[in-house]
Amino acid sequence: MATRDELSQFLAGVEKRAFKQAVYAVRDEASALDILQDAMIKLAENYGDRPAAEFPLLFTRILQNVIHDYFRRQKVRNTWTTLFSSLTPTDDPEADPLDTLEALPGTEKAESAEDKFRREQVVSIIEEEVSRLPARQREAFLLRYWEDLDVAETAEVMGCSEGSVKTHCSRATNTLAKALQARGITL
Amino acid sequence: MNRSDFEFRVRQALNDAVERLDYRTTFRLEKARQAALARQRRHSPATVRLPALQFASAGAGPGRPVSGRLAWMRRAGLVMPVLAIVLGLALIAKWQDDAEVENLAALDFAVLMDEAPLDTYADRSFGVLLQRELQSRPR
Repeated sequence: MATRDELSQFLAGVEKRAFKQAVYAVRDEASALDILQDAMIKLAENYGDRPAAEFPLLFTRILQNVIHDYFRRQKVRNTWTTLFSSLTPTDDPEADPLDTLEALPGTEKAESAEDKFRREQVVSIIEEEVSRLPARQREAFLLRYWEDLDVAETAEVMGCSEGSVKTHCSRATNTLAKALQARGITL
Repeated sequence: MNRSDFEFRVRQALNDAVERLDYRTTFRLEKARQAALARQRRHSPATVRLPALQFASAGAGPGRPVSGRLAWMRRAGLVMPVLAIVLGLALIAKWQDDAEVENLAALDFAVLMDEAPLDTYADRSFGVLLQRELQSRPR
């Protein structure tokens, strides 16, 4: 059974990456924070007495489920919003959710060196392109290559076959490489 | 550049992005973590089974050590009701035996005194009773 310290240590170790994963998925920091808090509470409430070794996979699965739930809720909300917004003019028809992400790197004003600035630009473009990947491709790509899960674990978390995971990863890599190349970035 | 190089570079870029999270976000992440920890599920202790029969006033809860005198009282509290039940059953059995003997004696007396009605002799169950009595008597 995991102690409070073990759970705290685990959450402290994964929270930033998990937050970024949520941001890439929902493209909104506030919603990503809510999602992460929800996932953390679910892990603590429902699996807080499990051995600490089980936390990584459990938390990854919970986080993916909470993100999926968010999209389900959004879908329902969007249906109603679209229905009513057709009757009222929108304030900003050009609004793009990606604007939020583009604003993120600008928050750190202290850095001024040219190479650092360029690196940050590259990082933000990569983040942007990762978040533009189709949901399943992004999920598979991040779990495999960022979270270091193997194919079987990724398949378990995503609830699909190992073959599908490989296909999603391969497509994600190709899409990402092409998108970055189109923006003049070669890694 | 091969495929794994590309994935590695993307991974590095994403790690960089994680390191650049601002204070406001890390503060909120910490708050979220604290909220989760406050609701951590605790391992529920194993159920302790106790004997059904014990004095409510014994004062010793589950798992608590009990002093010598108190232990004796608790044991007495379990044994006494059992003894009472056994004694009660024995008394009832004895009373039933006595009542049966008295009935038979009254019947014998009535037969000897010719007080028993004639129908009694004609009654089949009376015949069976007499036969049983004769068989059970020592020869």
